[in-house]
Amino acid sequence: MKGKTILVLTGGAIAALAAAIAVSYVGDGAAGENVSPTPGRNAELIDRGAYLAKLGDCAACHSIPGRPAFSGGLKMGTPIGAIYSTNITPDPTNGIGRFTLADFDRALRYGVAEGHSLYPAMPFTSYYNTKPEDVRALYAYFRYAVAPAEIPNRASDIPFPLSMRWPLTYWRWLFASKPTSFTAPAGLDGLQAQGAYFVDGLGHCGECHTPRNLFMQLKAVGRADGSQYLRGAVIESYFAPSLRSSGVGSLRDWSEEELVEFLRTGANSRGITFGSMSDVIIHSTQYMTEDDARSTARYLKSLGSPEQVGQSFVYDATSHRALKTGDASAEGAMVYLDNCAACHRPDGRGYERVFPALAGNPVVEAGSPDSVISIILQGSTSPRTAAAPAQFTMPAFAWRLSDVEVLQVANFVRSSWGNRGTQVKLQDVGRLRPGFMPR
Amino acid sequence: MDRRRFLLGAAPVGLATLVTAGCARGPGVQGHSYAPSYFRPSEWEFVQAAVGRLIPGDGPGPGGIEAGVPEFIDRQMELPYGHGSYFYMKGPFHPDSPATLGYQLRFTPREIYRQGIEEANAAARASHGIDFARLEAARQDEFLESMEKGLLAFATVPAPALFDQLLENTREGYFCDPIHGGNRDMVAWRWIGFPGARADFTDWIDQAGVKYPYGPVSIGGAHT
Amino acid sequence: MTTPRKLKPVDAVIIGFGWTGAILAKTLTDAGLHVVALERGPARDTAPDFEYPRIADELRHGIRGELWQPLASETVTVRHAVNDTAVPYRKYGSFVLGNGVGGAGVHWNGMLWRASPEDLRFRSHIQERYGKHFIPPEMTIQDYPVSFEELEPHFDHFEKVCGTSGSAGNLRGTLRLGGNPFEGPRSDEFPTPPLPAIHAAQLFEKASAQLGYRAFPLPAANSSAAFTNPYGVRLGPCNLCGYCERFGCFLYSKASPQTTILPVLAARPNLEVRTGAYVTRILQDSSKKRATGVLYVDANGQELEQPADLVVLSAFQMHNVRLLLLSGIGTPYDPSTGTGVVGKNYAYQMCGITTAFFSEDTHINPFIGAGAAGLRAIDDFNSDHYDHSKVGFIGGATIYAGATGGRPIEQMLLPPTSPRWGAAWKAAIRRHYRHSAPVTLQGTVMSYRDRYLSLDPTYKDKYGIPLLRITFDWHDNEYRMAAYTASKMEEIVRHMKPQTQATLLLKPGNHYDTRIYQSTHTTGGAIMGSNPASSVINRYSQSWDLPNLFIYGASAFPQNIGYNPTGLLAGLAYFSADKLKSSYLKSPGPLVSA
Repeated sequence: MKGKTILVLTGGAIAALAAAIAVSYVGDGAAGENVSPTPGRNAELIDRGAYLAKLGDCAACHSIPGRPAFSGGLKMGTPIGAIYSTNITPDPTNGIGRFTLADFDRALRYGVAEGHSLYPAMPFTSYYNTKPEDVRALYAYFRYAVAPAEIPNRASDIPFPLSMRWPLTYWRWLFASKPTSFTAPAGLDGLQAQGAYFVDGLGHCGECHTPRNLFMQLKAVGRADGSQYLRGAVIESYFAPSLRSSGVGSLRDWSEEELVEFLRTGANSRGITFGSMSDVIIHSTQYMTEDDARSTARYLKSLGSPEQVGQSFVYDATSHRALKTGDASAEGAMVYLDNCAACHRPDGRGYERVFPALAGNPVVEAGSPDSVISIILQGSTSPRTAAAPAQFTMPAFAWRLSDVEVLQVANFVRSSWGNRGTQVKLQDVGRLRPGFMPR
Repeated sequence: MDRRRFLLGAAPVGLATLVTAGCARGPGVQGHSYAPSYFRPSEWEFVQAAVGRLIPGDGPGPGGIEAGVPEFIDRQMELPYGHGSYFYMKGPFHPDSPATLGYQLRFTPREIYRQGIEEANAAARASHGIDFARLEAARQDEFLESMEKGLLAFATVPAPALFDQLLENTREGYFCDPIHGGNRDMVAWRWIGFPGARADFTDWIDQAGVKYPYGPVSIGGAHT
Repeated sequence: MTTPRKLKPVDAVIIGFGWTGAILAKTLTDAGLHVVALERGPARDTAPDFEYPRIADELRHGIRGELWQPLASETVTVRHAVNDTAVPYRKYGSFVLGNGVGGAGVHWNGMLWRASPEDLRFRSHIQERYGKHFIPPEMTIQDYPVSFEELEPHFDHFEKVCGTSGSAGNLRGTLRLGGNPFEGPRSDEFPTPPLPAIHAAQLFEKASAQLGYRAFPLPAANSSAAFTNPYGVRLGPCNLCGYCERFGCFLYSKASPQTTILPVLAARPNLEVRTGAYVTRILQDSSKKRATGVLYVDANGQELEQPADLVVLSAFQMHNVRLLLLSGIGTPYDPSTGTGVVGKNYAYQMCGITTAFFSEDTHINPFIGAGAAGLRAIDDFNSDHYDHSKVGFIGGATIYAGATGGRPIEQMLLPPTSPRWGAAWKAAIRRHYRHSAPVTLQGTVMSYRDRYLSLDPTYKDKYGIPLLRITFDWHDNEYRMAAYTASKMEEIVRHMKPQTQATLLLKPGNHYDTRIYQSTHTTGGAIMGSNPASSVINRYSQSWDLPNLFIYGASAFPQNIGYNPTGLLAGLAYFSADKLKSSYLKSPGPLVSA
């Protein structure tokens, strides 16, 4: 889950900040701004809010299976102790039933609730640009259409003094973008601008796909911030790939149409989602309107300067020719044949929307080998969506392959069939093996 | 449905030919130490000796001992299979039913071995003065053949039942995935040219008739 | 057991969650009914149950049969003749029964045939062509009360659901090269193209052509390409892995309920699947005019009553018949008078095999194979595709070439002159393993007055409930059919130019042998017909006795065909499902007046 992931990072940020800044208590009451009047039970507004809640993927963190929707309780580990997502149902005692629209807006876009700063597991750092009418719609949905659940919030397991929240306020002041209503970046047409609103806002794509700095703030929050924006980032044991269209390991070779298909089904002829993106597909993007998916795709395709675009992937049949004639002498080739070829095929081309092609796959070619190694070790299951009800599982191979075999086969897939991935190191495999704990 | 079993099951009836025995490899000539869990020492000797004759180690190709077949059989005895859990074992039993109606004995595989080996050794002592495992290879072959053909009469377990149990388990242990303790180092697969758990022939769909070039792989991932 | 606990009534209860259970679950939940499916085995899915590489374990699946019904809990008893004492089928041999979600649809081979048009009106057809007295009096064959033309759209639909690979031989009445020239007219081509022939099938294809027979790709529910079925479910492609029959498919290629229908049912709130639920009886009201639900034992041994407005009996053929007999639904068949219907017309299949043993420079690579993909067949000698007036029997067989795998414990082919053990055996396995190929005949078995199913008086299942008893042996008609078709098969194999060949065939005097795997295509016992005096269900698979009971599966076949049964039984299920949707659910009651 995204939330969980961010918290791992946030824990580090808290610790760093606690050490770096030694000041006294700072109050949070001042944050927030007044917005338009509290909405009533307007069906259209509620519907819009329900849709936006999906786009914002609120359920990913605030709903867990077997409990009422949005009643919270998802455990998210951090190095200093676990925290739990909160009840955002309209229950007056345990949820947000007493929130005014302004309170709601403060939590959503400013990261402040009931007088204290929220952990940035709540992606207010992205939600900051939500338009006032969309905030109202979301409020109406959570206020009127979600069933109240009398489930108390669970306190974090973080011990005192690390549980003090004031460093979060500093962090927020220093690094969170100033809340503002969305304005389209310069140089985009209407559809692209619509895409930018989703990508940078409720979609909070950058929270996973943009790298972070020392204090865990995103290196870039918008298109204007340069090439770090959505260039891919390590998230837990995966590498969330670049969403730009420049160079090896990017979406350079993906068409707008293919991106639309991917967002709405979790798969296209070039690849299948994995890792926490599967949850995003299941809870959020499969519900996107054609229009929103297309605008998102078109916006993403605008990322990448022409001089950085680089060469398109060109298939090279050498590796396949060798395997097909009984030559598996290349390093990793036999491991590939014994473990991978049945589904991904000896030619690396897989089977469309069943077993993803490895040849020319940006995840395979990415600068970071983390996703390839983690998927080999842990396997992966594609999401079940209304449009694509079949679910495909790649089994885990950690039990079957040694670190050296994983290294060899990862290198084989990253360098065969024309792939341009760099060499993997043995310590990368050890680091990513399930159960691996840093000393 | 595939019907090879049809041939396998029925063809040998009355068609088995006597095998000329080569020089025997005595029990205990294993390169791999394994302490049996189910079999008692005398039974273990019997199983090893019999397996060593059913698939002898002499001549080209791996023998049953080399392939770890006795270890496989011992391990199977501790599993639900050995306890007869795969079979309908409620009475009444009609062992004299037509053979075509299948297995009708009251014995689980464990019981067939326990009871049958004791009775086989008793028969061997009666005719040769020593246990089966101590016989020369050629005598062991004769003895096994007599069991197979029902020429020996044991007190409770029919001799062919013990023989069939042994032969069935020996073949299983020879050809199974090494995960079960037999087919050690995939020796039997390499001997016949079976690629084991590879389970991918995409590249041979359009190369029918071309000799398959790769060696086997096991479930555990060992390959040659 | 204490008094069964009565559960909340539901609209429909499904007994057995294999192919037809899944088909009906989809139909009924599409219509908005609240449905409970009871499956006595475990829940199973591709992941984790059929995952590579653990699925590629011959001992575990091919021999021990982990996916099969555990005989220790329940088996059948078998006897050869009416006055014999039956004994239990204690170990697997002759047939293997499915278990768990997906049923036998998990471990089948995927040979997906339609019936021939004349198979569906076999009695009339034979009488019209050869005269009233051609059928011997003891042969109790009947017509299906439904025609090929009526079933065709449903055959077509099921082929698409399965991503079936094949080549049409008769497209809307036009014969096409490369397909089966004897098939009934099909409305559409197969959804995916056939895989190329494996080597043994190539040799067979060539030999057949030399003899003037028309070999074609065996219709395979092993999709040959990635394919999206009419329900939006995507299937993978077959790679001839060699672990098909007796195994679950790790490639999402072999059609099973899991790979074709269950994905769309997964999230339906109006379907509940209860596994470990062993149905012991179908309940009726006091008038015996209506089923009221079922009695079952759950995984904890608790006896429960599930009331339902509609009961779908979709277990395996034998289990369907046993449940009817245990529930006292319909009149049990009596072979002495030929009256009664439940248990009547049990039939099987007659099979034979000719193995070709080639020289060492012919690389058969037997391990490269699938349940059906890559195989080639001829249909020239099946059904009534040829003149029977002089051959002395009714029926026939498909003949097909190629192995479904080369798993060495089960599928080692050796000449009959090879010993079973010893140094010479060891030499023979090396010499022949990679260089031999089977050609198989799968033949019809007619139904007879003295072949039937009933409850065993002695043997019980683990709950103390009587087992089903099979009374079956071969009749002369079947021996003659086998001899005739085997002679054709042997001739083809001779043209494949092996060094030697050997045929295994049952001859007069060979009794039905339960030790040897032959076919899991057991049929009859709850047959379909046009009147209640001679059948259990009507053309819509509806019980004549209880109009809210529908019975699916090969138990409906009045006699057996020379094809694998899944295509026909699925076609019958979809035909019925259509009628349920269009009529029954709107106005429940008898769909055919008796």
